Amino acid sequence: MNIVLARVDNRLIHGQVLEAWVPHVHADCIMVANDRIAEVPLQKALMEAAVPSEIKVVIGSVEMIAGELSNPGWENSRILLLFETSYDALVGHRIGMQFAELNLGNMHAETGKVRFSCTIALGEEDIKNLASLESEEGVSIVCKCIPADRGRPWRKLLGKDDTVDGSS
Amino acid sequence: MGVPEVCLAGMMAVVAGLDRTAMLQVMVSRPLVVAPVAGLLLGCPEEGLQIGLMCELLWLGRLPIGAAIPPDDTQVAIGATTLVAMQGSADVGGLPLALLCLLVAIPLGKTGQIFDLKARQWNGRLQQRWDVCLDAGDLGSLEKIHLRGVLNFALASIGTFLVVVLVGSPLVEMVKGVLLPMLQPVAGWLRLSLVAIGVAGIVGSLNVGRTLTLFCASFLTGLMVLWLL
Amino acid sequence: MADSTLTYGTLRRIMARTLLLQASWNFERLQNLGALFALAPGLRKIYRGEELKEAFHRYSSYFNTHPFLASPVIGMILALERERKEKKAIDVGGDELRKMVMAPYAAMGDALFWGGMRPLAAGAALLVAVKGSFWAPVVLLTIFNLPHVWFRWVGLRLGYRLGLGMLPRIQKWRIPDLAVRIKETTIVLLGGACAYLFAITARQDEVATGWGLLLLPVIVFMSYLTRKGFSILALVFCSAAFWVLAGVLMK
Repeated sequence: MNIVLARVDNRLIHGQVLEAWVPHVHADCIMVANDRIAEVPLQKALMEAAVPSEIKVVIGSVEMIAGELSNPGWENSRILLLFETSYDALVGHRIGMQFAELNLGNMHAETGKVRFSCTIALGEEDIKNLASLESEEGVSIVCKCIPADRGRPWRKLLGKDDTVDGSS
Repeated sequence: MGVPEVCLAGMMAVVAGLDRTAMLQVMVSRPLVVAPVAGLLLGCPEEGLQIGLMCELLWLGRLPIGAAIPPDDTQVAIGATTLVAMQGSADVGGLPLALLCLLVAIPLGKTGQIFDLKARQWNGRLQQRWDVCLDAGDLGSLEKIHLRGVLNFALASIGTFLVVVLVGSPLVEMVKGVLLPMLQPVAGWLRLSLVAIGVAGIVGSLNVGRTLTLFCASFLTGLMVLWLL
Repeated sequence: MADSTLTYGTLRRIMARTLLLQASWNFERLQNLGALFALAPGLRKIYRGEELKEAFHRYSSYFNTHPFLASPVIGMILALERERKEKKAIDVGGDELRKMVMAPYAAMGDALFWGGMRPLAAGAALLVAVKGSFWAPVVLLTIFNLPHVWFRWVGLRLGYRLGLGMLPRIQKWRIPDLAVRIKETTIVLLGGACAYLFAITARQDEVATGWGLLLLPVIVFMSYLTRKGFSILALVFCSAAFWVLAGVLMK
């Protein structure tokens, strides 16, 4: 498998991914690992329709995508892998998805979560998941909304919990 | 430049600034629109057009998607045009002055992202106010609360514009004696470079591969035709 | 209670309100207030009292899409709300639909308008501006706004008329592929504009047009630099310094 970018983004396939990241990393295939959306055919169809036809899209449960990735047919593809939550990323990595770096894009504010930058809000669960990804799985975790942003290791974000974030 | 002209430029800065995010998005915020128009109103149309031309492409590849805030090229363009107008057209003018003012305005325009960010953060408070109103069943205040956001964005625009103009004009005064004569002989080439940088940025932000081939083919064809003519 | 179908006048007011969609954009819930602001005239026609309050509650959660594609979404939501009011059995609620379409439609709109139409309009206007013509702003505004305004008005009305039927309709337009074509056109246009600007500059300084061949590797190199994270600001000042220095040395 050849994962060129693994990203946590609660909006999954949207403009930042298609307009900024896909050209930046030269991805030719997008995989969305999400148990919820895999069950809703309408949502799946809508997502697939948002992607130009020259880029392949695979949407499935975390388990299914992990299986798909071990398929040798994807050897020559440049895959952009999307998760909705830190939990999915952790599970995905544990069951065999091989990515050395995880990009944090958008993790939207919800009640019970603390905002660490304009686009990233983490709950206790998230912090625990990311910490185990980092220490147990050896994945380096970087916050970077779009390629033009300065990437920052997520630990640096934890240091301050306000929102002075120049997405320059 | 008198008080009425300054007010006019400020008004344009607000209208064009609002077009960026808060309302319309009809692209009156693009430098190539706003700078020539500001130039016409302030009495330096040629310089305005040149500023628009040079500034238009620079950050065009930076898309306003999701929560990403691109650099404020609108205020850079209006600010630079205003700086030209403040010099008066008597002694100097033309492309070198337009270039000088643009080069001064570009780094100052960086403040635009900070102001924009602040406006969006202030808008977060409107959100909280709406939640209170909604729980109280006060549905009529939706419009008032939502439209308050326009004011925040307007303040951000005018703030950036003022930084560019107020900090920029003494800067232009300071350096123009030295830099204008230096820019004079190479102005055309520098203009070309700025456009080329913009084009490079766009080519880089699109899917390279076919993009690069297409660009080279079209550039070479164009050059060939113009060469032969 | 009166018929809950929205009149042409109401739709027009909603359209006008969509122009202010992002007025209170914020990092918490992005465009939610703006979308509710646009929906409000319609919702107020459809519901009264407690029902209206519930409807407002439904649409106060997080929302974000491309500002132009919000119009068809708002049209569809209103159609679904009307059906709900008329007690028709519906497969998908307006609120559910909104959550489903916002990200994919944002992607389509970003690709078509921000990634496609905006550079196309700018590229065409640039060619005009290089000629020194003041028609440049007019060209830019016209090219961009014809599809833009069409999308907003027709999108809203079609969305309201077709309801969920709008989804396959938009699917049929194949917006992502269209955006790719537009981007390719833009690149061709920009290549031409660069060549043209070079020819003009060279002619003024009596340099042979053929030297333009040197510009090509420079642009390719700079685009490589921007991809690697080199900032535009730095490139601008490096080139300014380069030319000033060259000018001084040549004297």
